[in-house]
Amino acid sequence: MRTHFAEVLAHESAVLAGVTDAAKLAGWRRRVVQELMTPQSPYVLALRQAVDASDRADFLGRWRELIAETVNRLLQSSTRGDTNGSSVQPHRGDVDAEQAAVLILAALHGGGTLSQIAQDPRPLNAALDLALAPFAPPPEARADDKRTEPPDQ
Amino acid sequence: MTPADSHNGRRLTARGARTRARIVAAAAELMYIQGVGATTLDDVLAASGVSKSQLYYHFDGKEPLVRAVVDHVGQRVIEREREALSHVSTMRGLRRWRDALVQNNALRHGAYGCALGSLASEVADHDALARRVLSTLFTEWQELLAGVLRRLQSGGALPAEVSVDQLATGLIAALQGGYMLAQTERDVTPMATSIDMALAHIESLSTV
Repeated sequence: MRTHFAEVLAHESAVLAGVTDAAKLAGWRRRVVQELMTPQSPYVLALRQAVDASDRADFLGRWRELIAETVNRLLQSSTRGDTNGSSVQPHRGDVDAEQAAVLILAALHGGGTLSQIAQDPRPLNAALDLALAPFAPPPEARADDKRTEPPDQ
Repeated sequence: MTPADSHNGRRLTARGARTRARIVAAAAELMYIQGVGATTLDDVLAASGVSKSQLYYHFDGKEPLVRAVVDHVGQRVIEREREALSHVSTMRGLRRWRDALVQNNALRHGAYGCALGSLASEVADHDALARRVLSTLFTEWQELLAGVLRRLQSGGALPAEVSVDQLATGLIAALQGGYMLAQTERDVTPMATSIDMALAHIESLSTV
């Protein structure tokens, strides 16, 4: 179990460190969704309820820190006014990075579980749409985003 | 005929149904506290006080018992949620629903999580039938939340173009994920934060 934790954290710290704008955030998201929809992926194994609760707590705590650092970076680049067409535009000025990171991690965890039992990535995507809404790219940058949601059943 | 009052197609006597219910209740409690994987049939025997032959008369192994637990827990959770949600039509009502869930979970420092969500994360990958039942139960729960959001929408608190099904799914995922984080940390705070952030997002969509 420890190796899954280490493997996920190694991936995540490498990838999240490079997330500097909304497009890269969307890339991160696509990859994590793919991992969580792959049975036996280290992501799936690491998030499964396990006996070693203290290792899990450390793992989740560290992942949350990585997400919070990324959120902070995105918020700072948007307040610096970086305009490369893909910068984030927080919908509210008062986004708290720590709390946003809790929701993002909960969305991965809860959305991942719901998607696994439904065998359908839609619950996870719905969860991430909600959690990442403050960091969604402005509408014009979304025009070339091919990830479209299927219509409601 | 529901599965609760039959055994291999035979109707149970009242006494047989009570024995079966006792086994399922004991198994549900054990699996909630120590997890499905760590719960053995011997544990269930000891906790329910029934005989081995009685247990095997009703369940010929752990898998059918786990399925009965999924039905039992699912019914309880959906009933609770139906009662809590079916008349909610305001943001304030939705926050009261949140308060009750958080408060309940705080009593145990979040240690055990959501009974249904815990089953989902344990059973998902080794029993296709239980997985499908869990999926239906979560769809029912999500429908109850979608009903609330639809009522918010018709009251003008949510814009018409918002996809309530999508939002309800996101909300239930945030709730479940929150439970799971709280369970790992033995602290209800991440669960409260997660639902609060999700509700704040829903409120931010408000047109008024």
